Amino acid sequence: MRRALSFAAVVLTALLLQSTLFAQVELGGAKPELIYLVTIVMAMLEGPASGAVAGFAGGMAQDFLLAQPKGITALTLTLLGYAVGLFRSYITSPSPLIPVFLVAGGTFVGILFYGLVSFLLGQFGLGLGYLLRVALLTALYNALLTPAFYPVIRRVAESSRATRVFRW
Amino acid sequence: MALRARTRSARSLVVLLVLASLLTITVDYRQGQTGPLAGLGRVALAVITPLQDAVSKVIRPVGDFFSTLTRIPSIKQENERLREENQALRTSQIRISELETEVAQLQAIVGLVSTYNLPYQGARVIGSGVSNFEWSVTIDKGSDDGIRVDMPVVTGAGLVGRVVEVTGGSAKVMLILDTRSHVAARIVAPGLSQVTGDLQGQGPEDLDLDLVDPDVPIEAGATVVTAGYDGAVYPPSIPIGTVSRVVPDPTALDQLVTVRPFVDFSALDIVAVVLTPPSE
Repeated sequence: MRRALSFAAVVLTALLLQSTLFAQVELGGAKPELIYLVTIVMAMLEGPASGAVAGFAGGMAQDFLLAQPKGITALTLTLLGYAVGLFRSYITSPSPLIPVFLVAGGTFVGILFYGLVSFLLGQFGLGLGYLLRVALLTALYNALLTPAFYPVIRRVAESSRATRVFRW
Repeated sequence: MALRARTRSARSLVVLLVLASLLTITVDYRQGQTGPLAGLGRVALAVITPLQDAVSKVIRPVGDFFSTLTRIPSIKQENERLREENQALRTSQIRISELETEVAQLQAIVGLVSTYNLPYQGARVIGSGVSNFEWSVTIDKGSDDGIRVDMPVVTGAGLVGRVVEVTGGSAKVMLILDTRSHVAARIVAPGLSQVTGDLQGQGPEDLDLDLVDPDVPIEAGATVVTAGYDGAVYPPSIPIGTVSRVVPDPTALDQLVTVRPFVDFSALDIVAVVLTPPSE
């Protein structure tokens, strides 16, 4: 319960920051997507199930703040969280840069997926070039933000982890 | 075994969440702004807006910093543009004040010449005398504009001089300062009826008024105007200047009076040539 609350707090904080601070930060027509970052980091730290739940919750929350057909971000992030969680278990490198690369790659794929679903629903009329550019830039910004957010999220995750420590 | 069960439960959880997402998308897509989800969205918005406000207030400076950072190129451009605009405005400001001065001068001239009901031709001073011993200006109107030799020239302040040379498009005006200039002048003061004299230019000094009856008491400050005899060059009652000094000389046949002109000859710009009828 405590765990769920702390994760909810993380998601809510990310959402608030996204809608206030990072809504203004637009470099080259794109801005960071904190919810993507949080989902990917959670999935990394906690595995596919938690990743999927975090993605779903964060995505749903963001969807309800947007006017678009709700659920696209939730769908994207559920799958993204799950995929990153699975993918993480195959990475053996101890490099501290792993989170950065995972966030960059995950964000890129996630944004592309989001664009694809929006397109299929007739909600995306800006062209592939724009989508690719936004995906690349957002991935870059998220990667740059990772060193700042990763330690915070890891702390929350570790402090709220049940006594039953479980590691892969 | 536990791991596998966990994996399986994770998978079914994801499937469940994906289905929930898809359901949400479908319902929202079909119902748009009127459906129950839109209502939920409004509720979520209502809940989070105060929080957003609070956070915004705290981090606004940070956001401003970033948005300024990202807008630096356009700010630079804007700065450039504003600089140019400022320059243009300053130029036109100067132009406007010049025009205002001109209008004031013209109004004064119009006031003066219309008082005496004289036909006139406005002109601009385009040059001044080259010699140190000649006090004259060149104006940009000539015989093509009806200007002829001996026509008086005035500004709003008073008498300037008379035309001495005319070409098609320009004319030379001898100022009353010139030592060769003579003007029949009259002192206007209460109690004085006809105190006249010959006003002679003294170059940079005040003008001398000769041939004034020595018995008439004259005070400094009295106004001097053109006398305007019949057939004279200058029409009557055009202001010239004020008496600046009176030098009584009991032995002389006349008293010396100096006159300071109204017109500032160092700043002549717009003048009017009075189109007097040709003297026979």
